[in-house]
Amino acid sequence: MRKSIFVLLAILLAASMVLVACGGGAEPAATAVPAAEEAVQEEAAAVEPTAEAVVEEAEAAVEEVAEEVAAEEPTAEAVVEEAMGDKTQIRWFVGLGTGTNPEQVAIQEEVVADFNASQDQIELVLEIVPYDSARDTLATQIASGSGPDIIGPVGWGGSNAFYGQWLDIAPQIESSGFDLSVFDPALVEFYQTEEGQVGLPFAVFPGAMYFIPEMFDEAGLAYPPQNYGDQYELNGEMVDWNWETVTEVAKLLTVDVNGLNATEDGFDRTQIVQVGYSPQWQHPNSTATFYGGAAKIFEGDAPGSYESAIPDSWKEAWAWWYDGMYGEQPFIASGPLSGAPEFGNGNVFNAGKAAMGLTQTWYTCCLGELRDAGVEFQMGIQPAMADGTVQGRIDADTFRVWKGTANPEAAFAVLSYLITDGGDKLLPIYGAMPAIAEKTDAFFEVKSADYPFVTPESWDVFVQGLAYPDTPSAEQYLPNWTESFARIQTFGDLLNNTEDVDFDAEFDKLQEDLTAIYNKQ
Amino acid sequence: MFEELNRGISIPSPKAYREMTPIKRREMREGLLYISPWLVGFFLFTFLPIIASLIFSFTNISIMDGILNAPEFVGLRNYIQLFNDPQIWTGGGSGTSGSLWITIKFGLIALPVGILLPLGIAVLMNNPNLKGSMFFRSAFYMPYIIPFVAAIFLWGGMLNPETGWINRSLMAMGVPRSMVPNWANDVVWVYPTYVIMGIWGIGNAMLIFIAGLQGVPTSLYDAAKVDGANSWQTFRNVTFPMISPVIFYNLVLGVVGLFQFFLVPLVVNNGTGRPGGATMFYNLYLYKTFFTFQNMSYGAAMAWLLFVMILVVTVFLFGTAKYWVYYAGEGRS
Repeated sequence: MRKSIFVLLAILLAASMVLVACGGGAEPAATAVPAAEEAVQEEAAAVEPTAEAVVEEAEAAVEEVAEEVAAEEPTAEAVVEEAMGDKTQIRWFVGLGTGTNPEQVAIQEEVVADFNASQDQIELVLEIVPYDSARDTLATQIASGSGPDIIGPVGWGGSNAFYGQWLDIAPQIESSGFDLSVFDPALVEFYQTEEGQVGLPFAVFPGAMYFIPEMFDEAGLAYPPQNYGDQYELNGEMVDWNWETVTEVAKLLTVDVNGLNATEDGFDRTQIVQVGYSPQWQHPNSTATFYGGAAKIFEGDAPGSYESAIPDSWKEAWAWWYDGMYGEQPFIASGPLSGAPEFGNGNVFNAGKAAMGLTQTWYTCCLGELRDAGVEFQMGIQPAMADGTVQGRIDADTFRVWKGTANPEAAFAVLSYLITDGGDKLLPIYGAMPAIAEKTDAFFEVKSADYPFVTPESWDVFVQGLAYPDTPSAEQYLPNWTESFARIQTFGDLLNNTEDVDFDAEFDKLQEDLTAIYNKQ
Repeated sequence: MFEELNRGISIPSPKAYREMTPIKRREMREGLLYISPWLVGFFLFTFLPIIASLIFSFTNISIMDGILNAPEFVGLRNYIQLFNDPQIWTGGGSGTSGSLWITIKFGLIALPVGILLPLGIAVLMNNPNLKGSMFFRSAFYMPYIIPFVAAIFLWGGMLNPETGWINRSLMAMGVPRSMVPNWANDVVWVYPTYVIMGIWGIGNAMLIFIAGLQGVPTSLYDAAKVDGANSWQTFRNVTFPMISPVIFYNLVLGVVGLFQFFLVPLVVNNGTGRPGGATMFYNLYLYKTFFTFQNMSYGAAMAWLLFVMILVVTVFLFGTAKYWVYYAGEGRS
């Protein structure tokens, strides 16, 4: 009995395996025949003969049509080949930065269609990958040798995670005769790294000092200047608009529940209702760059030789920031305070709780609540450093070419299209300011519709800011970038959230940790 | 019995196989056939990955180099790097401690609470004078059935420094705003915060303790009473020894769980180590090394260090068991 069950099971198993093996081949015919049946049934219904005749005719017709379909139906590969002809296929990977929202996808598809219709040499294919899985997906594609040709829009952060994978496009720029004069030269230089010319300017986000005029009026203070080179009037004197001035003004604009500012006796630091300054969502590297200047923060050229080399000016910048939160006369919201709902859960300027906030163009995304509350804001210039020079910051997104691409010329042709003609459609949906100066009017028209009270002089501050990029970027490449950058963020987070930190000890530990991380292999 | 059972599931030697009767042989073959799906699954999805991770830990796999390129054998480099990694080993400091130190520091708070609190509640639940014990058991167990992540979000709301009812209650009782804890955003308070959140998970341990307590023969309590033992003496000399295997079981699980502590910091503080690196637990750092920093070989070495640490601590605990764990019927071993 038991034996017979085993035999039966074995037969069933073998039969199922045979059926599975045959199933794959049978599928295409199964899809072709119903389509043919439908056509024949429609024809049969039109002449209305007897049922048997219809069935017979139909069966015969089905067989005939099925044979024709089977004979004529091309394979999937043939369909693709036919559609592409001799075109070079270029894959455009979107997901490392913006570009994955449905409305963005629709416009990107439109741009792809426009491009494909514009010429007959290249077939552009769009690949949208959700942001959360984009890094893993791209890494896997690269690992398997099937990386995309174009990647973007992507900022420095997303790019640094794939350092060493980008094509130096200088030869393509030269061979194609691409006109670089449409860009500010500083922005072209911005993309010159140790890997070469790894990109061209596309979407830029220059910095500016956002401020709320009403708070300055209440404190009887002049507004921040709106032209680089202008001075600021403080206590009846004209002074440079530098960090020292910003600090002094910010203290006067920091107010407690009793209406006292941070410089006055009796100021209650535990009951702050408004701060003078907010480094709105800035990474510690960004804060340090603004205050202490752009700098390369590591030395060495190979694992084992790397060393953290954070300059003293950055250390001073972080000490200034910490003092601004936990010093005698605070003027920056500490982590706990800025995280409070009344302070906008971190979006302090938008909550109307900061008189000034130094941040980039992208922050115009997130000021709806301030506007809806009837609070107006304007923009002033970025402050100068102690030596009198202005160190601005520009966040920037662009497209990059994977160095493993089999078609660098075609990839560059696509890149050229995306940052110029394609950019006209793409930039508005990315909410980004064009790097090509003559195209910025359209961008500010959209922004003016969102914030009608912002003056042209304020918008112009951003245009002026294009001349002050941070080279190297605050988001510069660091060895083991993701971990290194996170370690610096942890340091910043410690300062942000902890009173009585042993600043020097923590700074030394940061340097030590970074050196260890840089040299990890 | 165990000896018999062990003999029953062991694979015989070739000589023993030859000496088997045909029926025994067929039974053995069929037995192996029946468990073969599990064996194949275990081999493919557990054993092979374990061996692969051990091999990876001696290589320099970089996903960027391409999976088709054979990784380079680097000997003990990853392990040497491991023992020099400040993110793992650095102790103390005002915030940015090493992951191992963070894990141990948290364990010193969490483990006693995780063992003693459910034990205390179980003793109360087991008290014959308690009215409505079934209700209380259900009430204490109920949070355990809430999905862990949902519970964490609930606690996050309750412990919000500004809007949470806990801080609001404290302030209503007169605690100044500047004195109320900043809970998960404070480098000191974040550990008690995690422990408080973990209290909702004690229901399971409590039930196990109750089961253990109900297994203590009442005759022992009667004897203690006759001897004039008070409540503490009864607990110390009767209850504790009798439920010591259950305590040991919970302790071992607690220690293993501690080294693998991961989900709470991942959800509450987004796995960033916030505030100030205070929540970069070892297992979280391991996860980030693998999947964020994509350093596969180093991550594999970290995983093996974790395994060794858990093994050593577990063996140590088993070593101490003979001094304090009592198995009825075996005497003190």
